[in-house]
Amino acid sequence: MKDKIITYIFVGYILIFSILGIIIPDKEISINERRKLSIFPQFKISNEYITKLDTYLVEHFPLRENYRTIKAFYNYKVLNKLDNNNIYLKDNKIYKSNYPTNYNSIDYFKEHIYKINSLLNTSNNTYIAIIPDKNYYIKDKNFLQIDYDYIYNEINNIGLNNIDLRTVLNENDYYETDTHWKQENLSKIVKVLNENMSFGYKDTYYKENIYNNFYGVYYGESAIKRKPENITYLTNEMIDNVEVKYLENKNLNKIYNIENLNSFDPYEVYLDGASSYIELYNNYSTSDKELIIFRDSFASSITPLLIKYYKKITLIDNRYINSNNFMNLIEFNNQDVLFLYSTLIVNNSLSLKN
Amino acid sequence: MLFSSISFIYYFLPLLLIIYFIIPKKHKNKVLLLFSLLFYFLGEPKYIIILILSCLINYIIGNLIYKNKYKKVYLIIGILYNVIQLLIFKYTNFFIENINNIFNSNISYLYIIMPIGISFFTFQALGYIIDIYRIKHKPAKNIIDFMTYICLFPQLIAGPIVRYYDIEKDLISRETSYEKFSEGIKRFTIGLSKKVLIANVIGELLKNLIDVNLLSSWLKPILYTLQLYFDFSGYSDMAIGLGLMLGFRFLENFNYPLISATITEFWRRWHISLSSWFKDYIYIPLGGNRVGKLKNLRNIFIVWCLTGFWHGASRNFIIWGLYFAILLSIEKLFLKKYLDKTKIIKYLYTSVLIIISFLIFNTTKASNIIIEIKNMFLLNNIPLYSKETLYHIKSNFILIFISIISATPICKNIINKLNKTKWKKTINILEPITYVILLILCTAFLIDESFNPFLYFRF
Repeated sequence: MKDKIITYIFVGYILIFSILGIIIPDKEISINERRKLSIFPQFKISNEYITKLDTYLVEHFPLRENYRTIKAFYNYKVLNKLDNNNIYLKDNKIYKSNYPTNYNSIDYFKEHIYKINSLLNTSNNTYIAIIPDKNYYIKDKNFLQIDYDYIYNEINNIGLNNIDLRTVLNENDYYETDTHWKQENLSKIVKVLNENMSFGYKDTYYKENIYNNFYGVYYGESAIKRKPENITYLTNEMIDNVEVKYLENKNLNKIYNIENLNSFDPYEVYLDGASSYIELYNNYSTSDKELIIFRDSFASSITPLLIKYYKKITLIDNRYINSNNFMNLIEFNNQDVLFLYSTLIVNNSLSLKN
Repeated sequence: MLFSSISFIYYFLPLLLIIYFIIPKKHKNKVLLLFSLLFYFLGEPKYIIILILSCLINYIIGNLIYKNKYKKVYLIIGILYNVIQLLIFKYTNFFIENINNIFNSNISYLYIIMPIGISFFTFQALGYIIDIYRIKHKPAKNIIDFMTYICLFPQLIAGPIVRYYDIEKDLISRETSYEKFSEGIKRFTIGLSKKVLIANVIGELLKNLIDVNLLSSWLKPILYTLQLYFDFSGYSDMAIGLGLMLGFRFLENFNYPLISATITEFWRRWHISLSSWFKDYIYIPLGGNRVGKLKNLRNIFIVWCLTGFWHGASRNFIIWGLYFAILLSIEKLFLKKYLDKTKIIKYLYTSVLIIISFLIFNTTKASNIIIEIKNMFLLNNIPLYSKETLYHIKSNFILIFISIISATPICKNIINKLNKTKWKKTINILEPITYVILLILCTAFLIDESFNPFLYFRF
């Protein structure tokens, strides 16, 4: 009897899932992975065919996300592992380890900054601010951290005006499910930048616009079900009237792309997400000063809070544009220049183009 | 195609089982052969011709040996064909590399990809023709039966190396039953769990152990030994399980080798089908241990050089084989009688030597082997531990504990004992549930491997 039970359960289980896999229509995209899923591979006589077929079958397997949750639960609760796929859960926050320290990447980052700095005019006022990623603030002795002291020492050795943000931020300034910082908490960063850059900080009123269904990039990776969090974008009359020119997206001329709140990555509401070159013009400005930010995505959410103090801000993301191309678009002359990158980029900088 | 893949478990296997159990008995071998060739073709489409050619030639040679008076001539032709085929596909570039090193020449490497499973199906074919020559069995009745024997997908690409006479009866006529089928399911699920839930996870852990220190220098070869054991024995379990589902009974390939008290015992428990193949077709024909001491040692060295070389075209495998030749010779000459008098020391001795053996197995560069061994015995200036190593031990403590316990027969013995008590009923209820949970977990792990987040705007 036991043999019959085992036979029927096993055969039944695999048959049900294979039939469901065949009859359930394929999904085109995976929201958690923020990518398109593979399509059924056309048959070819090649060793890679079975790999492609297997990838397709796994990606479209019934209840795929639930199976991933089962694996995460097993790792965290049964095996008592500290992480699952390098994802840590601590105090309802999701962290992703960027360990180990990549010394080659740090060297490359420094070289990159030297290279860009050599293109600037002597009249430029140059600053560098490295944003600690949220792993810096994790309160867990077990957690493996990269060597932040080494990174900040190396940044200090570059010889630019260094603005240290480590003591200003804390773990609550970052989203629980995402890698980025929260825009509504960044006034204190603007103050610290002002202490060094002297652009004339003033307390400013912003209206908080809250979208309450935000799942950050780590949510999908963690595979653990939880409630969404809020993402807030700050507006006022001045921000609403800033004119923005995107190199890639010619149809957009606003700071916020509200449509992106319903996209794969709602953080792309700020300055339309990944963009190589953006110019912001503040027609309300009484100042003639201009700011150029060499940046990663963290700058997208703080730039709207800086535009008040400048007539024009130019954002350059060297992951998507090299120096030859941006030199055709900009002339360096008396602007403030800020290198604003997170430690995630410093430790993984090979994507920066010289 | 891998057993531990969604395409195999959820598509290939159910399709095969449905057709296999629907069709009449006389056509079952044809279905098995077709599916076995499809299994091979999906993983190695271009080289399927090598497999088919090997089957045809060995089938003909087997018949010629059996029916012809020039038995020895055909046997030699058959052995040469198989050995040359193996040498060409597996060792050509290794020979070129060594010729270039020794003679400072510059012979270009050849673009040769080794056909999957060639070491296994060639050894099965060799055993088949040698056993016909030795009149241990008759040739297969027809080419379908013979090709089914060689190509049978459960054991085609990674063993166990099955002897023809062991499954001859099953090939001609085999019985399937719920008992056999459920035994096969259990064995397959255990093998799948060994591979997916233990070996693969340990493999990931090994990738993350970067720091060099005393603790990690021991942890890495220990983990690698466990990984290799669970990977290989897991595959053998899956093969045996699939065989049982289809009505075949293959011999065991592993018998808890990591609990061995001597190296001699270890090789009676590890990859049994390979060591018994070398024993029957190389060691005994050379005279085995029925010759003088010196000749016996020579035989041991020949067999273990070949065993090492069989594992791969790389120097570390030859060193690995020689390492065992030396250890087995020492045990044979004098050490075994001293070891038999101790209890704890012999287990410690065997464990440490096995761990070092797999360190050699896993280290392709010969100079690194010395460095790694020196690290283990603090002969290099390295720290005792690091935060990283401690983190991984803490994070994987339960996994490592489960792995070590599962490498021993403790669980099996406990269940067998409980089965003789009032707990039998509870075990009968829990057993199917356990296998379902294991299948769900394995599926979850296989699916999670496909998670590939798009990091375009991650930071």
